Amino acid sequence: MSFLAFVEGPLFYIAAAVFLLGAAWKILGLIRLGRRPDLAPPRGSAAWGFVRGNLRHFVPRGIFTRRTWLHIVAGYSFHIALAVLVFFGAFHIAFIERLTGLSWQALPRWGFIVAAEIAFAGLIVLWVRRISDPVMRQITRAEDHASTILTFLVMLTGCLALQESHASLRAIHMLFVDIWLLYFPFSRLMHAFTFVLSRGHSGATYGRKGINL
Amino acid sequence: MRQRLPFIFSEILPPEARFFAEKSPPPLAGARTARLFALLALLTALIFTLAPAPLLAQSSVRPPGNAVTFPDAPEPGPANTLGTRSDAEIWDMIRGGSPRDPGVIFAPTPEGALMTTTGQQWRVLRERYIRKYAGWAPLAVIVLIALFHLIRGPMRLKEGRSGKTLPRFTLTARVAHWFMAVVFILLAISGLVILLGRVLIAPYLGREVNSALTSAAMQGHNLFGPLFILALFWLFVKFVAGNFFHPHDLKWIFRLGGLFGHHVSSRKFNFGEKTWFWLVVLVGAVIAASGVLMLFPWLTDDLRFLQLATVLHVLGAVLLISIAIGHIYVGTIGMEGSLDSMLKGEVDESWAREHHDIWYEQITGKKAHPETPKMKQEGAP
Repeated sequence: MSFLAFVEGPLFYIAAAVFLLGAAWKILGLIRLGRRPDLAPPRGSAAWGFVRGNLRHFVPRGIFTRRTWLHIVAGYSFHIALAVLVFFGAFHIAFIERLTGLSWQALPRWGFIVAAEIAFAGLIVLWVRRISDPVMRQITRAEDHASTILTFLVMLTGCLALQESHASLRAIHMLFVDIWLLYFPFSRLMHAFTFVLSRGHSGATYGRKGINL
Repeated sequence: MRQRLPFIFSEILPPEARFFAEKSPPPLAGARTARLFALLALLTALIFTLAPAPLLAQSSVRPPGNAVTFPDAPEPGPANTLGTRSDAEIWDMIRGGSPRDPGVIFAPTPEGALMTTTGQQWRVLRERYIRKYAGWAPLAVIVLIALFHLIRGPMRLKEGRSGKTLPRFTLTARVAHWFMAVVFILLAISGLVILLGRVLIAPYLGREVNSALTSAAMQGHNLFGPLFILALFWLFVKFVAGNFFHPHDLKWIFRLGGLFGHHVSSRKFNFGEKTWFWLVVLVGAVIAASGVLMLFPWLTDDLRFLQLATVLHVLGAVLLISIAIGHIYVGTIGMEGSLDSMLKGEVDESWAREHHDIWYEQITGKKAHPETPKMKQEGAP
């Protein structure tokens, strides 16, 4: 078995299984933690607060917008462009189709390149802000750097293999994808799923107290 | 008599060359003449076969790889020889100039020439000079810095850290700086692999590895190139204020930036920092423009612009990489307290007094040193 076949085959299936089961286990664990019982009579809807808390956090607060515009722009750029790359890249769709039989319209090559530029710009800005903002430096752990660098390497190796001229480059990309999937459930990369619970928890708590977020 | 020989050949080729360039000999009068020709041909072939090749090698000038072979052109010579098509004089005349004259590299196409030679000249310049020597510049800078560090040592704060800090760069300025730094390093690594892979990687790791690395580097370089333009623009906007040259900078030049012990007063940016800033902006603009031209070659239909673009791109990049190594040294281990300005946005007051005393006096209103002349004497507002 070639290295490429290994990283696209057995290792990928193991990594995908760890990713799915690990993420599900962590999310269920968080849900099972539940909430402290609140004996005070409710002044509003916790469920509506959950939804509102999630939606409200997508929009920057007026008074903070000027100070936080950089990471708002970089954050949106990176996450949206990354999603576009993952789900609309022709190579990714072909890979998914090979595994599941599902397929959909892919981005043209120029669209993929533009999305990659935006994603890289966003990720680099987010990371350099992390190292140059004193507050961010205080709340940053080594794990944050590891997650960022690993994500960067997955994106980078993918783009370096764009010419599709060497199987070794594709294999390196797939290796980093597998490592990323294995690392995901045990890292802060889980924020991709847990942000809904986090925002929802705050929103529900405030919503039950009748606080207008 | 000329048969099916292109007009331009007939005009520029010398008589002996015309003979070789013509497909068929004139019609023969009789069988005797034919036998005579056959005998002469056999004798010539025998001489060519038996004679030592070095004595008969006509020239080291080979036709370019993309040279068109006319159907009525003579057959190439025997193996291990350059053949009749390699006559130096013929190719010199076809080119319309001397192939060894570097002055024609970017000169207009010689009128009446059959082909342009800039491609060959560009290839020679790239292979024999740029690829061969470009890597030495960054290496030389590293060696010089290492020697300087060993002999002179890092520049320590004479008064030590005071514990009090002054704000120097805003968060967006720092992010702009680090954004440029990350993109620059990625482009430098990928660019050096593209440029020097054949010289430094292929002989040691093999052609296959070099091929894969070069393919990857090319994709990465093309990807991060546009981000460099964005970073350059951002850097310019954030740092242009304070980076204009001032008569006061002459003192810094005359004292070599205080490299050998003399104190030099400085504003927010000293002459070295200003020069580095403008080099990044101006040379970076050239690199960016030439890079765009290479990324979108259809922007011009003149091949010479593309060739010029590759040369300027490489020379500019090697220059910036070499100076960037010095910049990184001074910004990190070379000067105590420098890194704080770009990591925290603040610098120690001792650092500000020692290295940017006029700036210190401007923002604090205090004297940096008792012996320092008053701010107005230094030209400060």
